[in-house]
Amino acid sequence: MLGILVRKEIADNLLSYKFFVVILLSAVLIFTSLFVMGRDYKSRVADYQLIKPKPDQAIAVLPPNPLSVFAKGLEDSLARSYEPSVIGIEARTGRSSANTVFDFFPAPDFVYIVKVVLSLVALLFGFDRISREREAGTLKLTLANPVSRGALLFGKWLGNLFSLAVPFFLITGIGLAILHLDPSFRMTPSGYGRLALILLLSLFYMALFLSLGLFVSAVTRRSATSLVVLLLLWALMVFVLPNTGTLLARQIVEVPSSRAVMEKRNQIWTREVLKTFSDRGNRTSHFQTMNEEIKRLEEDYRNRVDRQVRLAKALNRISPAAGFVYTATEMAGTGIGEDSRLKREVVRYRDQVLQTGTLENNMAPAFSYKYRPLGEVMAEGGLFDIAWLLVFNVFFFAAGFVRFLRYDAR
Amino acid sequence: MGNALILKEIRNHLLSFRFLAVFILLLVIVPATVMILTNDTVRKQDEFSRRRADIENYLGQYAHFNRLGGIIAPSPQPLPLQALVLGLSAVPQLDTFDNDPLPVLFPLIDLTFILGILMSLAALIFSYDAISGEKEDGTLKLMLANGVPRARVILAKIIGGAVTLWVPFLIALAAGLVVLLLHPRIAWGAADWGALGLILAGGFVYLLLFFGLGLLVSSRHASSASSILTCLFLWVVFVLVVPNLSPYVASLIRPAPSIIEVGRRIDRMIDTERDDLGRTLSRERMDAVVKSNPVLAGVDRMTEPEVKAEIARNAEFARAYELFRKANEAAWRDANDIQEAKVKVIRDDLSRKENAQARLSAALSMASPLAAFTYFSADLTHSGVRNRAHFETIAAAFWDAYENYAGPKMEALRKADPTMDVWNTAVDVRDMPRFVYREEPLAGRIKSVLAPLLILCGMALVVFLGAVLSFNWTDVR
Repeated sequence: MLGILVRKEIADNLLSYKFFVVILLSAVLIFTSLFVMGRDYKSRVADYQLIKPKPDQAIAVLPPNPLSVFAKGLEDSLARSYEPSVIGIEARTGRSSANTVFDFFPAPDFVYIVKVVLSLVALLFGFDRISREREAGTLKLTLANPVSRGALLFGKWLGNLFSLAVPFFLITGIGLAILHLDPSFRMTPSGYGRLALILLLSLFYMALFLSLGLFVSAVTRRSATSLVVLLLLWALMVFVLPNTGTLLARQIVEVPSSRAVMEKRNQIWTREVLKTFSDRGNRTSHFQTMNEEIKRLEEDYRNRVDRQVRLAKALNRISPAAGFVYTATEMAGTGIGEDSRLKREVVRYRDQVLQTGTLENNMAPAFSYKYRPLGEVMAEGGLFDIAWLLVFNVFFFAAGFVRFLRYDAR
Repeated sequence: MGNALILKEIRNHLLSFRFLAVFILLLVIVPATVMILTNDTVRKQDEFSRRRADIENYLGQYAHFNRLGGIIAPSPQPLPLQALVLGLSAVPQLDTFDNDPLPVLFPLIDLTFILGILMSLAALIFSYDAISGEKEDGTLKLMLANGVPRARVILAKIIGGAVTLWVPFLIALAAGLVVLLLHPRIAWGAADWGALGLILAGGFVYLLLFFGLGLLVSSRHASSASSILTCLFLWVVFVLVVPNLSPYVASLIRPAPSIIEVGRRIDRMIDTERDDLGRTLSRERMDAVVKSNPVLAGVDRMTEPEVKAEIARNAEFARAYELFRKANEAAWRDANDIQEAKVKVIRDDLSRKENAQARLSAALSMASPLAAFTYFSADLTHSGVRNRAHFETIAAAFWDAYENYAGPKMEALRKADPTMDVWNTAVDVRDMPRFVYREEPLAGRIKSVLAPLLILCGMALVVFLGAVLSFNWTDVR
């Protein structure tokens, strides 16, 4: 019975204008995104060949991360060139600062397309499944057969998920194949594993919106109403809630601006350097004061940022879109956790070259960085976010089921 | 007749579920956003004055010319208008090691976002079935049987719909502005209100554009169900994808060299390469002086006291040595000039390529009404590209004033005490010019936003004409 219901949904979808429009849109966007971000990655690799530090230079630069094609995240920050000096770490970015359009709009990577467009697509698959069948009168005919409402709803969910997932994996697969035509694009086997996880996460995320669509469709009598409710909910979940959490976290945890920290650091080191001129005997003690004060300042700043990020993450999880983006970027190695870890490593590297005195004589050891292993990503929030997406899924489906049991099919 | 049509549209919308849903959503989001951003602005202002006090405090005790530049470097000031529009002021700093990673993953929301994304979606939700829905209900043919021109029907639908959507937004915004006005720390001047008025005018045009688009699509479709799909398709492409893709496409078409690589090359040119060149040049020229003045033979191997003794003893040597010294100075000056000329060539090339890329990506993104509207509101509220340029200009003026102050001041200090190390001694700089941010007058900002405004108006006109033409050809049965 379930098989027939699923087949009916798939056949229904395949013949509809909606399916055609939606698949066309997804295909065009995913191909364009992979192509453009792939070329962007290629040019960053070429740049990296030029800026990569020579063996004895005390400079930390990460090679571009191939997974940033799919989840750009904080890659622009991660792939900067970090140059330790006595008074701090100079960070240089390779991205053109004149092209401000980059700053106005987020990067159109695969995660963005899934987060924004494919969630909408999933909603469109689910929004009229029940209310339209009622309008068309086929719902009461179906229910006149010995089929339970639960099976009917689950059949609809499965059939639509199937008609969503197959084109999604097909399009992404073709996009990946095209990406691999370029010989300079290389990924490690663990990279493929991470990518597979990101795709799975995307599927969970889309399934959630499908469940939400079915639920709202079971609540409303008319499919037009259902659509309006869903579009507004979608805008709220995808755009508004994730940012409100960030803004609220900023109100609660006070973090000085990076500019303030920079100014304070400038004041400390110039002050101490000036003091050494009038007090030549005590050079080392002044430099020690300087180092200690700057270290305190920076540690305080980083602790506050960490606290703010943790709070913002927790608040933002009200929206599944936030959890999806956090975990997808962490899996790709371009997330917030990776960024703060890299910064800690760079600070340690600077301390090391300063203490061994290898900064001045060009004998510095090379900086090496290993991305967080997948297990750690999973343990530090990844698993929670996956479970959280599944909870949303189950909750919406259950709510839809409860509503549908009482649904007046006439 | 026209009035009756408009009233009918307004009444229709007012009674609909979507009106209620959008109204409630706006009533929650707009005041909440304004409130949070107002608090944010006040906190930024607090921090700014604290920073300024810290700098003054430092200057009172430790100001010394050698390292003063980094201390007094001008920084952008938080402005009251940022309680509504953030623009580039919220962009994460990539040039400082410590930066805030959150806004990269989730760009913050402001008035531009609410108008640009939420309201455009609402406009499509209001208009996608304006014609196809009436066709399905059968009321369209009844209405047209009354001898109403079709263009008037479209006009009434646009005006009626846009008004019913715009008024709830204005009510929600007014609620937010009450928060802002009651806040004792946020003071808006006449120019700020003018800017807000202009943003609202631009926002209304933007909204009309999406209303017209909804009508155009609606008149091309037989069923509302397919009409909404096409509307969403167009909305996703033009609002959510085109602006985001354009900078990447532009950087593929017009690549710019890596700034890191150029920066390091420049550092090398004015450091080690300059030293090499300077040494070579001074060697050549000093050798030439030694050759034409045999009295200097062996000067290289003499120590400083020996040279001083020789100068005191031998007038001929003193004259030649002066030439020798001047040749050395000139050689280093030339080395500096040569390297700086080379650096200038590289810098000019970089900025030419960067600007070409930036212009192209701005032009490409303007295919999206959202991008045009974003630039429009950012430039009006000092948070756009124009303000960055404006800031550079006044910062440059400040540095000029500082140079004019520092040169004579150091001269005076030297005169007062010739043994003083004027670079590394704490000095009293109370009379030093301070950087004061002055907002660009509204007139200049308006001039810069004419282009995006014209693009918005042009797009709205095209869409509206398209809707009228398409409706004229529609079979209303």
